Amino acid sequence: MSDVLAVLEQRDGALRKVSHEVVTGARRLADGLGGAVEALAIGAGAVAGADALGRFGADRVVTLVHPALGRYAPEAYARAVAERAAAGGYGALVFAASATGKDLAPRVAARLGVALAQDVTDVAVEAGVVAVVRPVYAGKALLTLRVTSRPAVVSLRPNVFTPVERPRAAAAATAALGGDAGRVAVREIRAAPAGALDVAEAPIVVSGGRGLKEPANFRLLEELARAFGGRAAVGASRAVVDAGWRPHADQVGQTGKTVSPTLYIAVGISGAIQHLAGMRTSKVIVAINRDKDAPIFKVADYGIVGDLFEIVPRLTEEIKKLQSA
Amino acid sequence: MIVPAAYQPPLPLDRLLVPLGAPGAGDRMELDVLIVGAGPAGLACAIELARLAERAGRELAIGVLEKAGALGEHSLSGAVVNPRAFRELFPGLPDAEFPFRGPVAKERVYLLTARRAIALPTPPTMHNAGNYVASLCEIVRWLGARAEAAGVNVFTGFPAAALLVEGARVAGVRTAASGLDRDGRPLAGYAAPTDLTARVTALAEGTRGMLAQAWLEWQGVRAANPQIFALGVKEIWETKRPLDAVLHTLGWPLPRDVFGGSFVYPLERHLVALGLVVGLDYRDADLDVHELLQRLKGHPLLSRLLAGGELVEWGAKTIPEGGYYAVPPRRSGDGVVLLGDAAGFVDVPSLKGIHYAMQSGIYAARAIFAALAADAPGAAALAEYDRLVDASFIMRDLYRTRNMRLAFKGGLYAGALKAGLMTLTGGRFPGRRIAVEPDAAVPRRPPGPRAAAPLVPDGRLTFSKVDGVFRSGNTTRDTIPSHLVTVADVPPAVAAFYARMCPAGVYEATPAGLRINAPNCVDCKATDVLGPRWTPREGGSGPRYRRM
Amino acid sequence: MKIAVCVKRVPDSETRVKIAPDGRSLDEAGVKFILNPYDEFAVEEALRRRETAGAGEVVVISLGPPQAQETIRTALAMGADRGVLLQTERIPLDGLEVARLLAAELRDGGYDLILFGKMAIDDYNHQVGPMVAELLDLPCVTGVSRLEIAGGTGTAEREVEGAVEVMEFPLPAVLTADKGLNEPRYPALKGIMAAKKKPLEVKPVSPGAGGLEPVAMTLPPERQAGRIVGEGPAAVPELVRLLREEAKVL
Repeated sequence: MSDVLAVLEQRDGALRKVSHEVVTGARRLADGLGGAVEALAIGAGAVAGADALGRFGADRVVTLVHPALGRYAPEAYARAVAERAAAGGYGALVFAASATGKDLAPRVAARLGVALAQDVTDVAVEAGVVAVVRPVYAGKALLTLRVTSRPAVVSLRPNVFTPVERPRAAAAATAALGGDAGRVAVREIRAAPAGALDVAEAPIVVSGGRGLKEPANFRLLEELARAFGGRAAVGASRAVVDAGWRPHADQVGQTGKTVSPTLYIAVGISGAIQHLAGMRTSKVIVAINRDKDAPIFKVADYGIVGDLFEIVPRLTEEIKKLQSA
Repeated sequence: MIVPAAYQPPLPLDRLLVPLGAPGAGDRMELDVLIVGAGPAGLACAIELARLAERAGRELAIGVLEKAGALGEHSLSGAVVNPRAFRELFPGLPDAEFPFRGPVAKERVYLLTARRAIALPTPPTMHNAGNYVASLCEIVRWLGARAEAAGVNVFTGFPAAALLVEGARVAGVRTAASGLDRDGRPLAGYAAPTDLTARVTALAEGTRGMLAQAWLEWQGVRAANPQIFALGVKEIWETKRPLDAVLHTLGWPLPRDVFGGSFVYPLERHLVALGLVVGLDYRDADLDVHELLQRLKGHPLLSRLLAGGELVEWGAKTIPEGGYYAVPPRRSGDGVVLLGDAAGFVDVPSLKGIHYAMQSGIYAARAIFAALAADAPGAAALAEYDRLVDASFIMRDLYRTRNMRLAFKGGLYAGALKAGLMTLTGGRFPGRRIAVEPDAAVPRRPPGPRAAAPLVPDGRLTFSKVDGVFRSGNTTRDTIPSHLVTVADVPPAVAAFYARMCPAGVYEATPAGLRINAPNCVDCKATDVLGPRWTPREGGSGPRYRRM
Repeated sequence: MKIAVCVKRVPDSETRVKIAPDGRSLDEAGVKFILNPYDEFAVEEALRRRETAGAGEVVVISLGPPQAQETIRTALAMGADRGVLLQTERIPLDGLEVARLLAAELRDGGYDLILFGKMAIDDYNHQVGPMVAELLDLPCVTGVSRLEIAGGTGTAEREVEGAVEVMEFPLPAVLTADKGLNEPRYPALKGIMAAKKKPLEVKPVSPGAGGLEPVAMTLPPERQAGRIVGEGPAAVPELVRLLREEAKVL
């Protein structure tokens, strides 16, 4: 019987949504280990949204408070989590494999003298031992591992552990943290430069190829991207980048970027291997092409054959309707 | 009719020959011997030189420049290898230790029609008993490791872009710059060219080597016949069905007036190397070697073998086919020697070149070492290299088959007849040199109205050129400046000819004119033979062959 | 300035992955190995810091098999001064075991900076750098895309989701490098030649077993065949419905 510690992430005093995924993963492990889920937040004061974690299966929610720890302070956070973990006899510690989580989890694991399974896409408990799956070689293979050290420290890849409603009591508690912020301090946080989302980061990518016929026609894709409300970026095949229609930064595939968005829409792209290599790990692929034999249809989950100049505006319309619904 | 030569710029000698001391280089390095090209010829030369130096207790600074980013990445061949040069270079090693995949156990030759495969008796020139199936990439990596262990400096990622000359002497080479953008402007990672000077420079650039061409033209060294070439497009497949024999085919899908054939070699029982080799003097402007290879795979002989398998590598390379009469009368000069394919040491009837390349490297090493020991690396001393080659099996073999390929200039059946006669008479009949013109001078028929519909690749057995380029491992920087030199106005028919000729899809005929996708280039050199001139580009560009 | 850079020999990113017969690891036949690209940023940064300081030493350390000497030589060809190979046939899966061996080697080196790449492109583990920092009790910033050092203090920028964190820390420190930190130089011909003469010490080590046990390595499932939803703009509403209800991406 072991409890699981879910390490939450907050920014500006509010819980980041990835924390729901962390609790979901922790709940799954706790069920396997026969214990409770304790969700842990660290901040300068109360963390908004922490009390709602019972929804995803947290039995207890603990907030550790320290005036200097509103922002991430690696050494202080690591010390706080490690001390709590050492005292609590947890079977597992769960982090998000976010930028912060990937920084914090190794420090905690090293302090506890245990292994860390970073960036996992699946967790389970088999015969009392935590087992995980991690993508390796840029997702070209999956490695299944047993975490034999205790507590088993894991970090979860974001956008994989879809939050599941598992309502629990979520008794809340707050405690003050002692000590200082440590030697490494966040001096400031700057918003990322405003402007178009990078194709490699956007959850939705709308990509265009030579089927668009002219550079000016990319505005059709820009309109579609806008219809998704700031979550979409416009990508390009190598052919149109070579032709100078789009900047190299937008290129998907070959020596351009490898992207893995939740939704990839390929418009007027035939689907040569070099483009496919760049986007094949997208969760869902949609292809729009006038040629029903285009190789892209073999890779796409859904396709529409026809004139993109008619289809894309219609799609933009339907997406706008959805967004405003 | 299209005559390719009419649209070819001349060899840019002003770029390829640079006076020693001319500005433009960022750095300078001095060596005793500089070898351009880390292929079998260059590496064999380096290894033999290092051995001679060690035995004599002398220190020689030997450098090998290789344009590929890593050893072997630009090496491609069938290949079935005659081990004799390996035995000469490594007398202490048994055959089992050489980097070969396996001995040739069974071999078969077929004449193909669209649906049938007619077994032919193996021509005497093609008997491969005692030879080994091998991957040239693996051979090169193996030789490279031995060269480095012997103290040779192998510099990968450094193409030689020009010869440094002093009077009539070759003083070394200048490497290509790297880190330029599409318009030739330096980027953040810009690296200037380096001048490497050496007492002797060995040009082992392989097929259609630029510097070798430049030197021959500059020094007015002309062979009896111009060099002619074939283009080979090759694939490696992991197969579900095993293959345990070396296969060669003639006939379908090649047109009757085209010289060529295919090879299918088992690297392992379930790892097959197959390719189609076609003479570049083909008559139809729309002939496309890559496409013909895709069609060939549809023949029952091959489709059964490849069904359910996976294409793992693709590549292309030209082969010098002129034989004896296209080998320059001398391959040495003041401060320079020419090795391997760059000198034309390839025997087409037996499809062999690797052991000639290595042997030429060994002879060159001996001549170079003697010349350096006598402190006289001039033309007279280096001519010893020519004497060694001329007296050896290299030229004996090439002489025996001197007209065989050339006989095929009249087409497959007439050629086969003549070739048969040549074999029977040991080369004596027909014996006089058959004259040929350069490939670029051969006129091409534009496609007629009955031209066949283009093949639509299915992505399982047949693949597009772009897919092939991807499988060659080519990840050349997309923003690289174009390395191909064209004439100003390329008419649409010629652009279409180029588009079919290039196996890598570099050329496209668009309504707006000829489009050049330079990063696709896999350095096969077909373009240099028939189309825009090829020049060296940033080191590490081009394909990354692993087992070709 | 005395700087250590920890580097890893990794398979080239273009490698076609085949599972080895043991079912748990990569089949290395024919695989090309390179210096981990993120480590190149670290090596380049070390070289620039040494150049700015006017004097100092850049030491390259790697844990790996004998062939990792070539990887170290690549860094030496870029300009590092000497190398150390902690030689072991098997690199542990457990990053903490790697960190322990590196920390033991680094501990008494008197380094002002210890640099890593933020992750290796084979395992994507993102952990050895900060673990070494913990073991050596040194300040650490990971994923550094911009770095300034003035006196004994450093300022580093790192990207977090949608923002840039600016961190301040005292030297000596451990940093892990991200893309954008700099443009690594290509080794020059002279650098390649000089690298052969630079000292490279080989020390055999025995990693502990660690807390991660491989069960299996598998290829990801093939994408299921998709389907053509329809033709022309009339098919769009159905597509959108499927994206919402079936694929659940909208």
